Amino acid sequence: MSAAPRTIRFTLNGAAVSASVAPHHNLVEMLQQQFSLFGARESCGQGLCGCCTVLVDGRAVSACLFLAVFVDGTQVVTIEHLGAPERLSDVQEAFIEAGGFQCGFCTPGFVLMTHQLLDEHPDPNDDQIRDYLVGNLCRCAAYPEIVEAVKIAARKRKADAAV
Amino acid sequence: MIPFELVEPRSLAKAIALLDPDDTSVRPIAGGTALMLMMKANVFQPTRLISLRRIEKRFSRIQAEADGGVRIGALATLGELERAAAVKRKLPVVAETLRILSNVRVRNVATVGGNLAHGDPHMDLPPVLMALGAGVGIVGPAGKRTLAVEDLFAGYYETVLARNELIAELHIPAQGARRAAYLKCTTGSADDWPALGVAVSLDAEGQAIRSARLVVSAATEKAMRLKSAEAVLAGAEVDDGVLARAGEAAVEEAEVISDVRGSAAYKRELLRVYVARAVRKALATKTRGRRP
Repeated sequence: MSAAPRTIRFTLNGAAVSASVAPHHNLVEMLQQQFSLFGARESCGQGLCGCCTVLVDGRAVSACLFLAVFVDGTQVVTIEHLGAPERLSDVQEAFIEAGGFQCGFCTPGFVLMTHQLLDEHPDPNDDQIRDYLVGNLCRCAAYPEIVEAVKIAARKRKADAAV
Repeated sequence: MIPFELVEPRSLAKAIALLDPDDTSVRPIAGGTALMLMMKANVFQPTRLISLRRIEKRFSRIQAEADGGVRIGALATLGELERAAAVKRKLPVVAETLRILSNVRVRNVATVGGNLAHGDPHMDLPPVLMALGAGVGIVGPAGKRTLAVEDLFAGYYETVLARNELIAELHIPAQGARRAAYLKCTTGSADDWPALGVAVSLDAEGQAIRSARLVVSAATEKAMRLKSAEAVLAGAEVDDGVLARAGEAAVEEAEVISDVRGSAAYKRELLRVYVARAVRKALATKTRGRRP
């Protein structure tokens, strides 16, 4: 019966993994229940808030609207892969520098979207920043600091590239 | 969500064979962004979903044609359409519309075919495609047929597709010197579903309009051309009076409905204003193509 769990294989944060998932489970459920990864969290459940952002084959998706079985054969990257407490990513450092958060619940999503933005537009203008972040909600309304963090991260990357 | 079966055929033909013409609980799924919302809300409870994600790669291709038209596989994502060089160059109104549609993550997953087959009148792309005179290639058990996008929608979330037919591709014809614009009005937050969408495509010299295609969406139960307003614009030299008459004709013709985003009376007023704004915006757009 194909409603039963099936085995899928994919790359999760650089490591080859497999999982047994039922067709009706979404990607957030699988990451939390089977891999204990809680950085992507389901908040609005409608793809509007960005808290469940995950990269699939290098592109940001709302994991709450993505069937888990669809990651079979793909490369999945979650916030946990970007940095470690002792070695933060340039974007994570920039968010701390700018104070781009208060409670931090939305921060993993903003950080992943910023990585995607800077990978595609290394020197983003305000329009591009808003285009990439319009689908992420911060209920603490740290938006001015978040936009500043994106600009700091872009400058950091440019400086690093010049070295 | 309740459990369901998922089948992942490797070809379009196999996918069609797996669809059931009589069972409403069996449906195709591509990106799934719209369907997931319906399933989470228990508005749709499938017994079986036929995933289109593993069918032949050619159904995700975007190809520029020599004459300026663009052919788009139904499984191309909205993000791929937005980033395609041919679309940016030849169909700036499409690229601009995608930019204000949902968000980057949804555009990375949602597909062109799904956007059309969902039949949601609030979507931004269908009215634009209708104004551009686009058509879809449809495949079913009996073979292929083509249909203008303006003939695809039958009602609120309804299309004329049979349950075992699939949209295989979208074709947007060369626009030549035509100029187009799309405007929407959201009455909630900026990225809410629109209360009104207006798409227009004009064949014009300066302010003199030879012919117009004008489409209303979101405020009506399906996206539809407003032919009486088009008739007011055709052959007219645009001024405030012409735009007022076109707006009036649009309001007379469109069957505007009330919903959570505004009363019918309010949306009729919006339509009157947005018809004029959309025409002005299209006329202010630089032409990209050459007159054939």
